[in-house]
Amino acid sequence: MSALVPDVALPAAPQRGRRSSVRTWRWSDRLVLLAAWGAGLTLCAVTAAIVLYMGYRGVQYLRPALLFSRPQVSQGQAGSGGFLDPLLGTALLTVIGIPIAAPLAICCALWIVEYGQGGRVRRSLTRVVESSIEIVAGTPDIVIALFGLAIFQLHVLSFVSFVGEGGGVYGRSFLAAGTMMSLIALPPLFVATRDGLLAVPAHMREAAYALGKTRIATIRRVLLPSVRSNIATGVTLGVSRIIADTAIVIVLLGDELRLAPQGGAPGLGLLRGTGSTLTSYVFDNSPAGEGDAPQKAYAAAFVLMLFVLLLNLAVERIARAHASSGGSVAVTGVV
Amino acid sequence: MERLRAPWSDHRAGLVLGAVALLACLSVLLMIVFVAARAWPTFAHNGLAWLGPSGNLTTQVENTLATSTDPPPSAFHVRVWPILYGTLLVTALALALALPLAVLAAVFIVELAPAALRRALVPVVRLLASVPSVIYGLIGVLVLVPFVGGHLITASERTSLQSTVQLTGAGLVVAVVVLAVMIAPIMVALVCDALAAVPAAWREGAAALGVNRVRAIRAVTLHAVRPAIVAAAVLATARALGEAIMISMVSGSVFFSPRPGDGVAFFFEPLRTFASTIVDYHEGLGAPALSSMLYACALMLLLSAFVLSVGGYFIKLPLRRYQVRG
Amino acid sequence: MHRIRRIAASLAAVTLIGSAVPAIASATSVITISGATASYPLVQLLAHKYSKLLHNKVSFRISQGGAQIGVNDVAAGRVTIGDVSRDPLPADPAGLVFYPIAKYGICVVTNKSNPLPNLSEAQVQAIFTGKTHEWGQVPGAGVSGPIDLISRTSTAGVLTNFKTLFLANKSVATTAAQEPSEGLLEQQVANDPHAIGFLSNYRADKGTVNPVGYNGVACSLANATSGQYAATARFYEVTKGKASGAAAKFIAWIDTSKAAKKIISSQWIPSH
Repeated sequence: MSALVPDVALPAAPQRGRRSSVRTWRWSDRLVLLAAWGAGLTLCAVTAAIVLYMGYRGVQYLRPALLFSRPQVSQGQAGSGGFLDPLLGTALLTVIGIPIAAPLAICCALWIVEYGQGGRVRRSLTRVVESSIEIVAGTPDIVIALFGLAIFQLHVLSFVSFVGEGGGVYGRSFLAAGTMMSLIALPPLFVATRDGLLAVPAHMREAAYALGKTRIATIRRVLLPSVRSNIATGVTLGVSRIIADTAIVIVLLGDELRLAPQGGAPGLGLLRGTGSTLTSYVFDNSPAGEGDAPQKAYAAAFVLMLFVLLLNLAVERIARAHASSGGSVAVTGVV
Repeated sequence: MERLRAPWSDHRAGLVLGAVALLACLSVLLMIVFVAARAWPTFAHNGLAWLGPSGNLTTQVENTLATSTDPPPSAFHVRVWPILYGTLLVTALALALALPLAVLAAVFIVELAPAALRRALVPVVRLLASVPSVIYGLIGVLVLVPFVGGHLITASERTSLQSTVQLTGAGLVVAVVVLAVMIAPIMVALVCDALAAVPAAWREGAAALGVNRVRAIRAVTLHAVRPAIVAAAVLATARALGEAIMISMVSGSVFFSPRPGDGVAFFFEPLRTFASTIVDYHEGLGAPALSSMLYACALMLLLSAFVLSVGGYFIKLPLRRYQVRG
Repeated sequence: MHRIRRIAASLAAVTLIGSAVPAIASATSVITISGATASYPLVQLLAHKYSKLLHNKVSFRISQGGAQIGVNDVAAGRVTIGDVSRDPLPADPAGLVFYPIAKYGICVVTNKSNPLPNLSEAQVQAIFTGKTHEWGQVPGAGVSGPIDLISRTSTAGVLTNFKTLFLANKSVATTAAQEPSEGLLEQQVANDPHAIGFLSNYRADKGTVNPVGYNGVACSLANATSGQYAATARFYEVTKGKASGAAAKFIAWIDTSKAAKKIISSQWIPSH
């Protein structure tokens, strides 16, 4: 579970007037100043170290061929192919997870902001919904993975994966993992949408009501379009959480390296089949998995970092575009 | 061209939206029910003594794995004190390391940094928070563990502990350091938010009284954001408890309770946490006794997430006074 | 709004179609396998070859976890076939049928900076039960210092065979590190100059670790095949009841076909 970092609304830089010189301060104050500088620079240094080291190793080991070749069954690093299938697996999980999470999150946020504010019963229900989403946000991804395994190994839900030739429901597939990924992406989407809806000025709603529009029509025509960028931010944050998650993939997607669809239908077969993602590929190739291929692990990890960086840039770009167009995007952290 | 159709009534729309919203609550309820149901056999056979120390946990887990159908009651016997101790130890130490660092960094970002550095640090913090845990684990296991194993652990420490446990470099110190780096950005972000929300008048009042910048921060601002610091610590604890992949990669994966009496070697001893145990044994979920034990570990994590969420809610109530949202 | 919907729909379709391109062939039956990490490379190669020969009409899902996991999973009906790297034990659930597919040798291995040439049975027992704990006490050792024992977790079939063949059923010392897979044991030994462990001959021959001779015979594929090296054990494919359907055909193919024998002989010992 990777946390969300709020956009920091920083106060204006202090006026550079006449300030007391450090030399007149007590030692404890100087120490704190030094410690604060040290902490800030340590943060920069650690981030730079991680990014630069992954970049160095990635450039060292990443060949473009790796991105387009499929993993091979082989007995050494040289012949074991690339990671096209893990890349597609990551994309597939995102494509499954976000369309499940987005309507859920938007409906929850809409209900809470528009319908949940009046009356005692409604307000306590609001608190229940908000608390449940907070609990989902605070649940470790490994627990969500075990929960997924528990429900998708029931025979009722065997259509999500498949039944092996011994009668056992396999319980692991892209659909299963994707559904649990939607739980991972739900909190950031919900918080972003809710904050965007709360930030819509009251006069916009009132103008719509004055023109005779019903509440649902206002939602559809006025509110949703105005929180488009919040939803976009939420989706980007959700996507970055989905591609970064490893525990759910390891438990709910099996040990296959390659995409292995299940059944006849081309689309549904893929969803019910197993495969791997970038994160499980990195884990399996690291000294913690079968460990034979640290170079492949570095290459895949570099690609993963690139995606994370791009998504971060996208979030900032959306925030800046929206801010410049006059709205306010307050993406606060998720509990 | 708009298709004309009768719009939904508000009432119906409200019901539909409400039903979808309750779906979210339903998923939480289902999660608790399923995990608790699968975990029940372990608690039925062990009771709360499950958390206590007794016997060798490694052999007990071997026993849970040994039976696949109709396990006898003795197969369920486990005492997971080493796991509980490992979890608490790693979380407490990581928090102790990360909290001062995070508060100082937040103070630096909001109050003391020059404008250019400040603009650079906000995306830096966000980037640190979104790095996947498997990459933290990869750096830990490929860089830090060989460094600790090759350069920090002395031969005498290895020999002195030879009859108890092997020191390989993967252990407490690497897990604590990487975990601290993982949870620090969360705290930095929350405390930054709170510091930014402190009214400027307070800062100006301190300046008017002749107090220097740092003293003003210490005496005024930090006191004002104490609730935010506590909320940040609660959030970071929840994150630290749930970290599974990274800990599984760097902590040595041995059911062992690190002993402070071993001196410096204490920091190199391996351990396991609840989350990393689940990751390590997830392939064995076919054995009913082991599966029930792993679900019991998951239930512990779920309960702690629940407690921390509820606790966080009550701690955040005073935050609303300062209009710090979250 | 319509434009967004159209873009999203087309993106989803493109991803699904793009993913379907490498996965065009659809399998009509799936054989799920789980179990030993020692036989995983062999079973993976066999499954890959068999799948290709049948033009992808059969697909395999292979996971690991150790021989005991394989036994548990197949007894519970969770998987079709279990990979097991040890002989059947009395404690195994009733109704399981063990089909031997290959033999393999078990080698004691040390780090490459410790080119120990040979160990006798008594020495192996003393080291692995913890009686000998300094490399100085082992003649021929290339390093000095404490001995780091690397063993396997209890689910491993290789461990069961190691105890039977080398340790006369004594237990490995409790201070030994317990690795959950062969690959991880190999890594530990390769990274730690003081380490000693045991691996199947396939991994020991890879060049990352030093295979130690046992009772005067070097541990190599040639010696194991000829029978000179005594410590060999069997890989089994295990089914619940007699194998039927696609699983039976697969096991029969392994037993009879030349292609399978070629794969087995490359790094392992054919069972006949």
